Amino acid sequence: MNNFAEIILVQRFKKVSYYSVSINEENSLFREFVAKHTDTNREKLNHIMAWIKVIGEKFGAKENYFRNESETADTRALPPKGKDREPVYVETDDTGIEQNVPNNLRLYCMRISKNVVFLFSGDIKTTDKAQDCENVRPHFRMANHLTSLIDKALIDKEIKWNKNCTDIIVEGDFCLMW
Amino acid sequence: MKNEGNMITNWLDQYGNPEIERFVDKNLAITEKVRLALEQKGWKALDLAKAMDKSPSEVSKWLTGMHNLTLKSITKMEIALGIDLINVEPVKEIQYVYLGTIKGGDLQEAINGYEETIYGMAI
Repeated sequence: MNNFAEIILVQRFKKVSYYSVSINEENSLFREFVAKHTDTNREKLNHIMAWIKVIGEKFGAKENYFRNESETADTRALPPKGKDREPVYVETDDTGIEQNVPNNLRLYCMRISKNVVFLFSGDIKTTDKAQDCENVRPHFRMANHLTSLIDKALIDKEIKWNKNCTDIIVEGDFCLMW
Repeated sequence: MKNEGNMITNWLDQYGNPEIERFVDKNLAITEKVRLALEQKGWKALDLAKAMDKSPSEVSKWLTGMHNLTLKSITKMEIALGIDLINVEPVKEIQYVYLGTIKGGDLQEAINGYEETIYGMAI
């Protein structure tokens, strides 16, 4: 085993607790993602951050609020997607006109329940399939890998549920290893 | 467990456009109301599309929570579902209320002789 990932609490809202992971003592994946896209893709990131906050505060992490990105595990991503079409969001174009355009910034996640979500990393997706896109492929693969590790840790009760099953309990020194 | 210290709200406070957050908030509130109404009627999005004579993919796009819904599409959904998706507060008109009188003449005398009336209360 050469790598380890520590679980990091990103933020707790009334309806959802968000977590991320820090691999080999680096910054959390979500922190890296946010830092990278704050300058270059701020408006797209803004929509995703606002979405995370609003569902966290008011609605809970319902399944339809995420898009399916499973390859080897039950990975999800933001923004959400309807059947057979790209997600849209509102962007102001160069002339100041607001238009519904696809938001091609992807944030890969793991939705454990309506109350617990892991936020990993992502990038601008340039092809139909994540596997074909140089930008997102490593994030997509890592998210699927981490999802399966977290799933296993939940099954093995290394990560436990609280009494009401509304949040997870992680012991102080627990790490995902691979 | 280490924590990032309210990273999401901190980012939104520092870099976020409040317009975007409000847009997401309102849009999700409307689409959730539509989903609830569909559930109560035992309808799928397809039934709503049929009721509005729209394509299922168009309606499904409306219900993502990220689409810029027009007032026209909101109104179409309101009619098809028989509910109000947006409640518009009526504009309150200014009401003039008579509170009392001060007799003319000497001001101090008038104040001393002032009688309170109970004609009404300001609303």
